[in-house]
Amino acid sequence: MNKALRKYLGKKALWFVITLFCAVLLNFILPRLMPGDPVSSIMAQLARGMTDAGAVKRVLDHYVEEFGINQPLHQQFFIYVGNLLRGEFGRSFVEYPRTVSDILVNALPWTIGLQLPAILTGWIIGNILGAIAAYVRKGFDKVVLPTMLFVGSIPAFGMAIILLSIFAINLQWLPVGGGYPHTMLPSVSLRFFASIIRHYHLPFWSIVLISIGGQAIGMRSMSIYELNADYVKYSRYMGIKDRKIVGYVFRNAMLPQVTGLALSIGTMIGGALVAEIIFSYPGLGSTMLAAINQNDYPLISATTLIITLMVLVIVFILDIIYGIIDPRVKAALID
Amino acid sequence: MKTTLRQVLRSPRFMIGFCTFFLLLVIIFSYPIFNPGDPLEMIGLGTFFKPGTYVSLYDSVDAPRIYTLKLADSAANRIAAKLLPQDRVDMKDWLVLYGIDEETIDIEDTRALLELWWRNYDPDLRIDGMIRARHNAYVRLDRKLNGLFNSEDLTILRPNPETGEIEELLVVKDSDYVNLQDVVNVRVLPLGTDNFGRDVLRQLVSATATSLLMGLIAGTIATFIGLLLGLISGYVGGWVDDFLMFFINLFTVIPGFILLILISYSIGQEERSATTVAIVIGLTAWVWTARSVRSQVISLRNRDHVNLSKLSGHSLPRIILTDILPYIASYVVMAFILQISTAILAEASLSMLGLGPKTTEIFTLGLMMNWAMKYTAHLNGAWWAYYPVILTIALISFSLNLMNTGLDQVFNPQLRS
Amino acid sequence: MGNVILDVRGLTTKYITRFNEGVYAVDNVSFTLEEGKSLGIAGESGCGKSTLALSLMGYYFPPLHYMSGDIIINGRNISQMAPDDVRLKVLGTEIAYIPQAAMNALNPTQRIIRFVEDVIQAHDPKASKKDIYDLARQRFEILNLSPDVLQKHAVELSGGMKQRTVIAISTILSPKVLIADEPSSALDVSSQKMVIRMLRDLMEMGYIKCMIFITHELPLLYNVTDDIAVMYAGQFVERGTAKEMVFDPLHPYSKGLMESIIVPEAGTREIKLAAIPGTPPNLKSPPEGCRFAARCKYAQPMCQSSSIRFLELDNARNYRCILPEVELREAYGRE
Repeated sequence: MNKALRKYLGKKALWFVITLFCAVLLNFILPRLMPGDPVSSIMAQLARGMTDAGAVKRVLDHYVEEFGINQPLHQQFFIYVGNLLRGEFGRSFVEYPRTVSDILVNALPWTIGLQLPAILTGWIIGNILGAIAAYVRKGFDKVVLPTMLFVGSIPAFGMAIILLSIFAINLQWLPVGGGYPHTMLPSVSLRFFASIIRHYHLPFWSIVLISIGGQAIGMRSMSIYELNADYVKYSRYMGIKDRKIVGYVFRNAMLPQVTGLALSIGTMIGGALVAEIIFSYPGLGSTMLAAINQNDYPLISATTLIITLMVLVIVFILDIIYGIIDPRVKAALID
Repeated sequence: MKTTLRQVLRSPRFMIGFCTFFLLLVIIFSYPIFNPGDPLEMIGLGTFFKPGTYVSLYDSVDAPRIYTLKLADSAANRIAAKLLPQDRVDMKDWLVLYGIDEETIDIEDTRALLELWWRNYDPDLRIDGMIRARHNAYVRLDRKLNGLFNSEDLTILRPNPETGEIEELLVVKDSDYVNLQDVVNVRVLPLGTDNFGRDVLRQLVSATATSLLMGLIAGTIATFIGLLLGLISGYVGGWVDDFLMFFINLFTVIPGFILLILISYSIGQEERSATTVAIVIGLTAWVWTARSVRSQVISLRNRDHVNLSKLSGHSLPRIILTDILPYIASYVVMAFILQISTAILAEASLSMLGLGPKTTEIFTLGLMMNWAMKYTAHLNGAWWAYYPVILTIALISFSLNLMNTGLDQVFNPQLRS
Repeated sequence: MGNVILDVRGLTTKYITRFNEGVYAVDNVSFTLEEGKSLGIAGESGCGKSTLALSLMGYYFPPLHYMSGDIIINGRNISQMAPDDVRLKVLGTEIAYIPQAAMNALNPTQRIIRFVEDVIQAHDPKASKKDIYDLARQRFEILNLSPDVLQKHAVELSGGMKQRTVIAISTILSPKVLIADEPSSALDVSSQKMVIRMLRDLMEMGYIKCMIFITHELPLLYNVTDDIAVMYAGQFVERGTAKEMVFDPLHPYSKGLMESIIVPEAGTREIKLAAIPGTPPNLKSPPEGCRFAARCKYAQPMCQSSSIRFLELDNARNYRCILPEVELREAYGRE
């Protein structure tokens, strides 16, 4: 590893730590600045007269003790960070006494397993379509660009419902929702795995489809820009085959798309979370919906934090990949 | 300026987008005029009435005139409508057991199916292996089928208001018709009703208006903040730029959607009006505008005309207003257009999570989706409760995106073919 | 008379614009170039110099289209060959090109050696990487370029370095004809000198047989090339040796052009900068007769109508004007 790259990675790692700290701070402070801070939300829960008042009291006591509600704000924050570092997010109100971390540990693999492959697939297909549209221009481009614009305009949940109503309800090819059938217990068996795949299709393809549009449009513009570059003309006059030159163009247009993905991954994951809800997929989206509906503050707070963390880690990884594969970054650092 | 405007108007993408958007606006404004009424009024007792024309049965009995029409296929239509899908399947099952080739039976063709049945069915015939209950069920089905051809008149009775005695009001023959125009109470529900029995189309129109207004508010706020930060950061430079850039970068990677959820949740259900939600969306959506304005301003900062203005001792606001803003106006307009469509999407997603505006007062596209999903419209086949909403959101965002790419082509000539 | 390497006869090419209009950018150009000779082409911007450079390659892609004429290199007529044959057998090996904006002529994300491999393998797919590397290394060393450059990306090189690398790559297959389109215009003086020396070395060492050098900087041509041709509105208006052209131009346009420059040798000439009034004709519908007539001080009524024949002068000097040499000299003398 050379010096420039090390410097780049160091900078990115420092930036990761800073953003993470700010994200945690925001996650802590935003709810406390608002009228509906966690304490009053617990009070609201109490006032609503849950049948088991004793259980609520226990939750409250536990919460006051664990989060140090009665202490000044900055002390609360240290306690909060301390708890986070130990992986403790407190206990869920609704599923008391189940810990929040336990709920999240169950939901996280579903979300990661669904969204990352789907977004990546959509990114790749979108880039290929965009590059072809830029290269072919007439005809294909005239069809692809408006189609992509339209598909890209459909909200994530809309795409999810469209696929659901066509393939699960009308054609009945695939199951309506969930990660696996209610009749089955999770186990390591071929049958269970097969049913997971059957449930995987619809959420996967709806996320893929909505990711394609924006990526294809971005890639098309990038590729058109690259196709007009001087090196394309020079390579042609040096007798290099068009196919090889298209390879150069595709690669050069693709590299900024890595950064493009890093910048839009947050929005994409947000959309995909809502798509999860439509399919009652047992991931973070459905967890979040349940938590919001039941006013389960610790669970909401932990879910938002874990999603932010997920996004930050992905952005960090993409930044590193970009620094390694694009020599332009290295050159910029030498200057 | 004039040529740019002409180029914009000549761009097919921009014009298609603009016309679509304009058409939507026309519908939003004109529909309530032609079809006034409270969109929140619950007119249907029951959930998800399908789209169509609803005719008062009471008033059609009382219609001033009864017409007689001799229509050849009326009996066939009636029978076809009364022959339930389950009956058809049962008939086929019996016929197959009896020995008819499965391929030759078409359960959609009512006439052929009935003929086949009457040619072959014998209530006394016992089929091997068929339990008694099932056999009896087929006997009952056969009787029912015979009853389908019963075209006896219907007699309508009602208590005499004076004597209280039941007396005959009307005898309805199978060839009796009323004219829809003679019936006093007819209600067209082009998109049926929702889970609360409310007119979906009326709701959709009012929700689209609200959502667009929210998009406008959020877009204005986001564009304003983005423009302000971008201008300061780009023009002032130095540590101010470093400081602002830190924030801009920070909010680029921390997902705006998450901030939106946190803030909306913290505000609480009671406090969330459509305006509040729109403001919150605007407060979390300025990042992209700030970024692009900043990079434009940096490239403008050292141009000759700006330097000349500086040397002439013009004040900062004047330089920004006359030497910078006109040059970035196209980018700001494009960013604003995009902000509107992202804000509408954000509202919809937020409402789907149950964090949208308070539901009792107003309707937004997101809330319509949220209710449709809560009452599992998609599992009940009530497509009218959610497809039009999705289509409307897609159309709004498509038309805005089209306008945007049209403008982009005008201002970035390299993208032109 | 030496061995003729390049023989161009009546070459005509045109651009087809977005609005389907034809622009005759190169119109009926004929000239020959002998072994060991270099020809400079001068003219105002937009006169078709760069288009002529591209047209001479015999490889056309939109918006440039071949219309008529012959390009004969070493006895082979390349304008009649199939495009793919031209690519395979002519480009880079018979005739090579150094682009106008060599700064961006190299793919920014590719190592130089990878591009050299692509260039050589486009003509000889069987060439081994080791042979290519040895050849490139040897050639770079001869041309006073560090072989380390081969392992770098274009973005890591300075402007002058990039330009010299492009020249080395263009000539790596020892083409017979080298066409350099403003190769030094964008460089600082010392880089400019290095580039010129490199081109001279290439000629002297026999890696290229002859060279066409296109520029708007006339003093440069006087120092670099044997002959100079002046181009106006898509046509050659005069050709002669560098010395003749600078000190004794015949065509009124050449004369105007030469008067508008400062000739390097001090005292040889009074410094008189005079721009030629008027603008070149619209090449979408060029005027009949002499294209310069509208701007010419010595124009006569018949200049506008008759077709001007190219007068052959004894010492292989050509100019395109109806006035005989004697009359022109007289007219110039009167001033």
